[in-house]
Amino acid sequence: MADKLAVAARREPELGRRGLAITGLGTFTGARLAERLLEGDAPPRIVALDLRLPRRLEGRVRFHKVDLTEPTADSLVAEILQKEECDAVLHAAFFTDPHPDVELSHELEVVGSLHMMNAAAAAGVRKLVVTSSAQIYGPHPDNPGFLGEDHELRPHRQAHALRDRAEMEGLLRVFAQRHRDVVVTALRPSWIMGPSYESSVTRRFESARVLTLLGYDPLFQFLHEEDWLDAVELALERDVPGPLNLAGDGVLPLSTLLRLAGKRSLPLPHPLVYRAAQLDSLARTGDPPAAFFDHLRFGWVVDTRRAREQLGFDPVYTTQEAWMSFVVQRRLRGYR
Amino acid sequence: MNREIPPEVLAELRASVRSLRRELESRFGVGEAPEPPPAESDSLEREARRPEPELEHEPAEPRRPPAPGWIQQLRDEVSARLDEIDVVKIYESLRERIAIPGSGDISAEVDDFGLDERYLQRARRWLDWLYDTWWRVEVAGIEGVPDTPRVLFVANTAGILPWDALMIAHAVERTHPSRRRPRPMVSDWIATLPFSQSRLARLGAVRACAENAERLLGANQWVIAFPEGQKGSLKPFRERYRLQRFARGGFVSLAARLRAALVPVAVIGSEEIHPILFEPRILRRLLGVPVPVTPTFPLLGPLGVIPLPSRWRIRFGEPIWFDDVSPERAVDPLYVNRTRERVRGAIQNLLDEELPRRRSVFA
Repeated sequence: MADKLAVAARREPELGRRGLAITGLGTFTGARLAERLLEGDAPPRIVALDLRLPRRLEGRVRFHKVDLTEPTADSLVAEILQKEECDAVLHAAFFTDPHPDVELSHELEVVGSLHMMNAAAAAGVRKLVVTSSAQIYGPHPDNPGFLGEDHELRPHRQAHALRDRAEMEGLLRVFAQRHRDVVVTALRPSWIMGPSYESSVTRRFESARVLTLLGYDPLFQFLHEEDWLDAVELALERDVPGPLNLAGDGVLPLSTLLRLAGKRSLPLPHPLVYRAAQLDSLARTGDPPAAFFDHLRFGWVVDTRRAREQLGFDPVYTTQEAWMSFVVQRRLRGYR
Repeated sequence: MNREIPPEVLAELRASVRSLRRELESRFGVGEAPEPPPAESDSLEREARRPEPELEHEPAEPRRPPAPGWIQQLRDEVSARLDEIDVVKIYESLRERIAIPGSGDISAEVDDFGLDERYLQRARRWLDWLYDTWWRVEVAGIEGVPDTPRVLFVANTAGILPWDALMIAHAVERTHPSRRRPRPMVSDWIATLPFSQSRLARLGAVRACAENAERLLGANQWVIAFPEGQKGSLKPFRERYRLQRFARGGFVSLAARLRAALVPVAVIGSEEIHPILFEPRILRRLLGVPVPVTPTFPLLGPLGVIPLPSRWRIRFGEPIWFDDVSPERAVDPLYVNRTRERVRGAIQNLLDEELPRRRSVFA
């Protein structure tokens, strides 16, 4: 009991003293993290900024309807942050999947993030945690075996969402240099897998037959959704400025993953698939498929040593376990 | 041609079919109902069913004795054998036997760079065959290779696919007392080539770059570098055994910083496996990958990819130590450049020593 109190006391000044603002409460990360913190020992006062409030969080968070794409969103957000006395911000207002509306996507991910940064600076926020993605390194044939945080960001040129995310990280770096009193952490998770996480990536691996590219068998790395939420929580708790790669332990070739899952591969020659992808993107499905297909050809494995050493991030699930939890859950749901 | 089947053979066949059916019935319990509770109906059913095969069987029964004994014996033998055959086992053993790299089994775990121990184990017999029979590799100077945690081998390279890398790794594993298998670093363009990259990765090859080499050496693994790079693997036949320019010499500063022993290696024979006549630039521009022309390659199609069976000799030179090199010196460009040329000279000397010694390329 005393031990528990001590833990609560130690945690409390970090998170709960003032408020924690979460943008993008409707996203997986925002909603699940808010629930997790509210169920914890010392729930902080959560201030939610989004277009609408998820029903299961009604009455549990202080909700403000904010559209980050509006031209004056920054002063509005700054006002809210000041009034609510928030000293930490989790900025998770990003599209999980590439949005078909390229302009809206750019407005939200780049301009919206810029508004958020400016508001945070104006309101005297002490900490800003941003959910970025490790996909912005991009899969390339000349990637080293492990990508460190200081590796060049080379998102696929057709992947507008990833290009926007990389641009946002550039702005974030400038912001961090200008405001040295704010702890700015950019989390770069590898592909997130798990029982409930859904994205364009997980959807591609749901069916019993998975498209692969003939003759290529890249190494994959996954992060379990619970480990991801752990990492976000840790980043809010501890002060580790800079970008952080996040992934589960171990890597596995695509063919092994499919074999483990009992899925079959549908190997097609890559020139054909890339051609077909052009048609697919003309249909404006929102995902730039060519960018995804590069993942089926080239390696893209991140080095998580920094998160391990500085953040104390210790993933519970390995790559294989994250993958299997995804596979098993989807099978229960009726996919194969 | 259309011959009548003799009646006794027909009867014989019928009898055998009947006996087979009886055998099946008795084995799988078709004759006996498995549920005993309804005793009356069961017995009735049995009464009704019993006489039927007996009756049907009767005319064939007297015919049975004339069947030659050896047919019966053979039949029994075959049926006994058939019972023993385990289809799953056969499939497994076939797979084991035809473990062609690529279609064989793979394990559920690979190391950080994709090395698959199980795959390697299966590929070993093919590598052994290439090593012993196809190229008849001879090894010299392996006793000079130190048994220290970090060793960086530096070798000449040729041939389009990194066969020399696989053979050096195999030679070290088979002849060095430590039984360690160094990990070859292969040039970038292999990564864009379908089919080869995934297999090479499972066999332990990594992409040649400073980060990978540093990580591997840092983890106390032995590494093979080919500083000639793509220029080496695509060098034309007339320039065989003339070392191309070594890249920036990153391997020297790496070995110096990590205190790895640097072992020059000369491979004789590898430069004849794919005699490259020329490499048309227009094809490279069209296809995005270099397409070397050898006497066999585009001409014979896939057959042209088979490397020629030259006789190989792998000679390991004296190791170069960096124990007394300070960290500042290890990154000094002038020092790095000088050492790089020294290594290059050492390998060229080994090649020049070995080349006049061999009597012919293939014998």
